[in-house]
Amino acid sequence: MPNPFRGFQRLTEVIGLRVLSFLDTTRRLGAFTLIIVGVIFTKFGASRQVIRPLILSQVVGSGVRLLPIVGFIGVALGFVIIGQTLRLLSQVGQSQLMGSLFVTVLFRELAPLTAALVVLARVGTPTVVELGTSRALGEVEALEALGIDPIQYLVVPRVLGITLSVFSLAVYLLLFALASGWLFTVVANLPVTGEDYWGQIARALRWEDFPLLGLKTLAFGAAGSLISCYQGLARPLRLEEVPEAATRTVAHSVIAFLCLDAVFLVINLLLPA
Amino acid sequence: MKPTPVLELAAVAIQRADEEELLLENIHWRVEPGDWWVIAGGHGSGKSMLLQSLAGLIPLAQGTLSVFGESYSATERRPTGWRQRVGLVFESGGRLLRELTVAENIALPVGYHRNCSPAAALETVLPLIQALDLERLADAPAGRIGRAWAQRVALARALALGPELLLLDNPLTGMDQNHLRWWRQFLPQLRAGHPVLGGRGLTLIVTTDNLRSWLGAERQFAVVHHRQLRPVGFQNQLEAAASEYSDWLQPD
Repeated sequence: MPNPFRGFQRLTEVIGLRVLSFLDTTRRLGAFTLIIVGVIFTKFGASRQVIRPLILSQVVGSGVRLLPIVGFIGVALGFVIIGQTLRLLSQVGQSQLMGSLFVTVLFRELAPLTAALVVLARVGTPTVVELGTSRALGEVEALEALGIDPIQYLVVPRVLGITLSVFSLAVYLLLFALASGWLFTVVANLPVTGEDYWGQIARALRWEDFPLLGLKTLAFGAAGSLISCYQGLARPLRLEEVPEAATRTVAHSVIAFLCLDAVFLVINLLLPA
Repeated sequence: MKPTPVLELAAVAIQRADEEELLLENIHWRVEPGDWWVIAGGHGSGKSMLLQSLAGLIPLAQGTLSVFGESYSATERRPTGWRQRVGLVFESGGRLLRELTVAENIALPVGYHRNCSPAAALETVLPLIQALDLERLADAPAGRIGRAWAQRVALARALALGPELLLLDNPLTGMDQNHLRWWRQFLPQLRAGHPVLGGRGLTLIVTTDNLRSWLGAERQFAVVHHRQLRPVGFQNQLEAAASEYSDWLQPD
């Protein structure tokens, strides 16, 4: 006799397996993070002549090289969000809300998330491919055979470089957005003076927004880089598994960004207005 | 007084990470300073795993391994102090870092362990690059050179820190006559004390599929068979029992 609950059982099985897999990945990622933190502290300054250029090269690759595209996005966001909204608000006589809008939408939400997503797309995926291929071709064992700590040589520069890059790019994105928003008010001849524009933004910002922006962008950068390095390096991969690991990295990183975003949203809500 | 053995294995067993069955077991073996051991074994017999275990890359499943007098057992954390005294050349191109140039690959361990700038590390390894005839390839990306040359670069990289023990995993596989000739001339010089290493002799352990390629009076031979490492002895002892070891004494 067919079991009427078979479909439901199958569904709960699938959900249960997904939850267990998620918990297992989180546990492994946590352990991987602890190892990296341990290496950063225990080997701080060791082999700096080799490690420091790697960090700088990572900052150039994941930060400086992405500045044009982040600048472009910043300008576009400035025009679209600040400029357009300001025009709309001016029409209904509510242009004094522009500062709050800028801080809530751009400063707290869009700038960190956009910078992190750009870095993830342009650097995170190649990181998985590079590390996954290195692991699959046995280069990691070659480093170990030379007495070189693969975490210190391959992971630490990437994590530090990408984390710093997300922070810097978010700051640049905000500056570009502010400048282009101001440019829009001038070009569109909106009834907003420079003093109003900059004054409103300055008044809408709390001092807590600055450390929170720093913490949020650093957290996004650290999460994206750790997940990329974990997917590429922490598990043995065959060459044909590398593209799948890259796809998984994007999905896991986006979920991590959204979870972190929710945490910072709660922190912002708890702070006095 | 007897010198400290370079390696001493007591009841050592080795297994692959993802398998429960032992790959090699009950290995008792002693390697003295200046020895040149050639180990033969079939494909998948465990000779590469044995070398990687001696280099400290794979934990022991059982037994005790002593390297330069420093012992550790299967239950202990692998020490790393002797890593710089042991050089390992992997087979099939030596697993070079593809993103770096040939010279950068060779200079990397020097820069890392002595904390010197890339330029200073390159200067340090320049005599090694010259001694191994690699000047022409020094600036080439390591991922783009042929396998035989890559194997030679891997040898240079393993020698960069001036090891006392050199482990070579099937180094002559797929080489043409020119490269074979070079390796057959260079390895005896290394063992005897090459000027590029300050004239200090090395202890060598080589794995191979065919012992005949490595016959020589000063070398000792061993065979990996049925999960055991069987030391045979010098060439005369190997030849005396040639019929027993015919699987590993194929014509060149």
